[in-house]
Amino acid sequence: MKGTRWHRLALVGSAIALIVFASLVGGLLWQGLPEISWHFLWSPPAETGIFGGIGPELLNTMTMVGAASLITVPLGLAGAVLRVEYGARPGFILLFDRIRYTFLSIPTIVIGLLVYQWVIVGLGWSLSIGTGVVALTAMNWPFVVDMSVSALEGVPDTFREASLALGGTRYLTLLRVVLPTALPALVSGLGMAMARLMGESAALIFTAGINVSKHWAFSAPGETLAVHLWYLRTESVAPHADAKAAATGVVLLTLVVLVLYVSQKLARWLKAVDG
Amino acid sequence: MNSPPDLIVDRLSVAYRDQWVLQEISLTVPSGRVMAVIGPSGCGKSTFLRTVNRLVDRMPGVHLKGQIHVGSVEAIGDDVDLVGLRRMVGMVFQQPNPFPFSVFDNVAYGPRLEGVKNSSRLRAVVEHSLKQASLWDEVRGKLRRPASSLSGGQQQRLCIARALAVSPQVLLMDEPTAALDPSSTAKIEELILALKGEYTIILVTHNLQQAARVSDLIAFFRDGRLIEVGSTRDVFTAPKREETEEFLTGRYE
Amino acid sequence: MNVHQHNLRMERIQHRIFWLSAALLIGLGLAIWGTLAVGAAQFVLHHGLNRTLLGVDYNPTRGQFGLLPFFMGSVSVTMLALALAYPLSLSVAAVTVLMGKRAWLAPVRQGMGALVAIPSVIFGWWGLSAVVPLIRQVSGSSGFSLLAAGLVLALMILPTLSLLTINAFARVPERWIDGSLALGATPDQTLGRLVLRSVKAPLIEAGIVAVGRALGETMAVQMVIGGQTLLPHGLLSPAATLTTELLSDISLLPPGVEGHHVLDFMALSLLLIMYGLVLLVERIRGRAEV
Repeated sequence: MKGTRWHRLALVGSAIALIVFASLVGGLLWQGLPEISWHFLWSPPAETGIFGGIGPELLNTMTMVGAASLITVPLGLAGAVLRVEYGARPGFILLFDRIRYTFLSIPTIVIGLLVYQWVIVGLGWSLSIGTGVVALTAMNWPFVVDMSVSALEGVPDTFREASLALGGTRYLTLLRVVLPTALPALVSGLGMAMARLMGESAALIFTAGINVSKHWAFSAPGETLAVHLWYLRTESVAPHADAKAAATGVVLLTLVVLVLYVSQKLARWLKAVDG
Repeated sequence: MNSPPDLIVDRLSVAYRDQWVLQEISLTVPSGRVMAVIGPSGCGKSTFLRTVNRLVDRMPGVHLKGQIHVGSVEAIGDDVDLVGLRRMVGMVFQQPNPFPFSVFDNVAYGPRLEGVKNSSRLRAVVEHSLKQASLWDEVRGKLRRPASSLSGGQQQRLCIARALAVSPQVLLMDEPTAALDPSSTAKIEELILALKGEYTIILVTHNLQQAARVSDLIAFFRDGRLIEVGSTRDVFTAPKREETEEFLTGRYE
Repeated sequence: MNVHQHNLRMERIQHRIFWLSAALLIGLGLAIWGTLAVGAAQFVLHHGLNRTLLGVDYNPTRGQFGLLPFFMGSVSVTMLALALAYPLSLSVAAVTVLMGKRAWLAPVRQGMGALVAIPSVIFGWWGLSAVVPLIRQVSGSSGFSLLAAGLVLALMILPTLSLLTINAFARVPERWIDGSLALGATPDQTLGRLVLRSVKAPLIEAGIVAVGRALGETMAVQMVIGGQTLLPHGLLSPAATLTTELLSDISLLPPGVEGHHVLDFMALSLLLIMYGLVLLVERIRGRAEV
């Protein structure tokens, strides 16, 4: 049919996008998968020899992301509740939203710089898991606020009115009606937030560091998977670093996909339970 | 003005995937007449209308058989010039569907597609079409306002003006008053009566009184088949088929 | 104490907790602005704006702080990425929303959501293993370049951008498209004159969001851009951006060292640009709602 030239071009464009993404993921798997073994997943990295693994990085990634999520979820949710559920003054809402949006778009390297200045130079902490958690927390907080705000805004007002009309206080309405209804959206939002934290590296290089220690401690250096991948691919002189980087990438990507998948499944299940 | 074409439907069948939605429809709408298509919901009325201008092609897996002659133009076939066909056959939809542009830009949309850029010519076409759709007096001086600021009835007349602006010869109207209040409905009906003669019109309607008021011919569809077709007076006063009588007296549906 | 009184007390406590957390967030936000502003002010007082914002020589150990190369680097990499990714994202949206079935929409959205979550270091890895070698082979240069960074960033923002353009296209009701086709518009005309025009505001907003992501990205760019602090003279020349220079200089210029505040100045510049983008989006949204 005539007049479909742009549509045909669009097909070509989409095909290009698809192919490039397929080659990215395919290339990563191709180079990385052969490297992956139990040994690789458990043992510490080695600068010399070909036997290094990513055990500590795996542990650091999970503990740091976990800790940062544990801190930011209540903080972020509470802020969002005030913003959505309690009729604050318009001026306050404007200020809150502007701070939230700019905060949300701060380059993570700037967060890294600030945490470095405040926590490492100011408070005298070391490059450590603890400092890294602070950086991830600062990064994640506005994100959690944002996803909580949209989750809460997704709850129909008629639900709130029905509860208030029955004599429920705002707090009870929140607890019994609003939060349960918003829960699926909150869970899938949290999944996205955690996936984002797992992939973070710029904010961590100068806060958590690019080393690992033999024993896990809050004050020990806390290189994560994403940082390790960057390090292997740019700084490391270890033989085989490229393949190890790809393998680290595969593990990181698997973790991200897993978190997204589980959170979405959970969200869908919660929704179904709700009816 | 030349008289509009006859519209001849010859053994038209339409299927979605494996399911026949229309079977062996044959009928003729003579030049300048209004044919009302009536029948219970889901009988294929809308599909029939969307086949005449081949909007039905948008449904994946659709399959057409038979032929529709719009004057000397054939509407069915793989090498039909759909653009040319649709310029000849205008359509008005059940829900008023003005584009999110100004009143002017809505009416000028069709002429601009043909490459008309000259602003005085565009203005003339827009004014003429709006007058034909008897909307001109209500929107004069407000042509730059968004079309969404008009009332529902005005929006529907705007859509009629938009269809007329490409100077079609056939008009397809798919329950054009279903979403409108009684007074807007009356205006649209007046408009259809005014357009009769200049355009060959097929009107799908749920409203039997409306069919009686504005149409010359009635086609009664049921379950994808044409049950009866005849002059409006004949069908309403002396239906030949029992199914038609059942439907008209409300014993069906 | 009866249940009702208990509930009322809980209500007051809850309210206070919510206020506290919101105030904390605002406080942290203000602290960020404050810290960077103070640092940047010190920098400007020391070095002025002329030789920094417009300067082209960057050599902090010798007291030269020309930042123009980094601004140029950030802007050109971002524009390049947008120019490459935007048409592709429009293609993806046209194919999924206009040409595909409506049933595809949800799975495509979900897939895009997963691609959005790909960590940026993985895009950097791809840049190093595919893009840089390719450019090296074709051009004979080192491969580390603005072009490589633009390509990597384009791919990185593509899922975000596509998600937003898909959402924009999906706002166009079927009956508008029917109306346009019924007037004899070709599919291309319907796309250009109806779809693109009727969702112009969300499409512009999508572009701004993508610009924000591209400007703020550090790792993926740093891995392939080459880290050259000179003014770039072409797509193939290595360069640096505000973010990549921040990354390489934090260790070079720790607090206390002369010139440390150039970092605050660069960070504040980034923040101001981001704030400008936020205001821009707000404005477009406000106008679209009228």
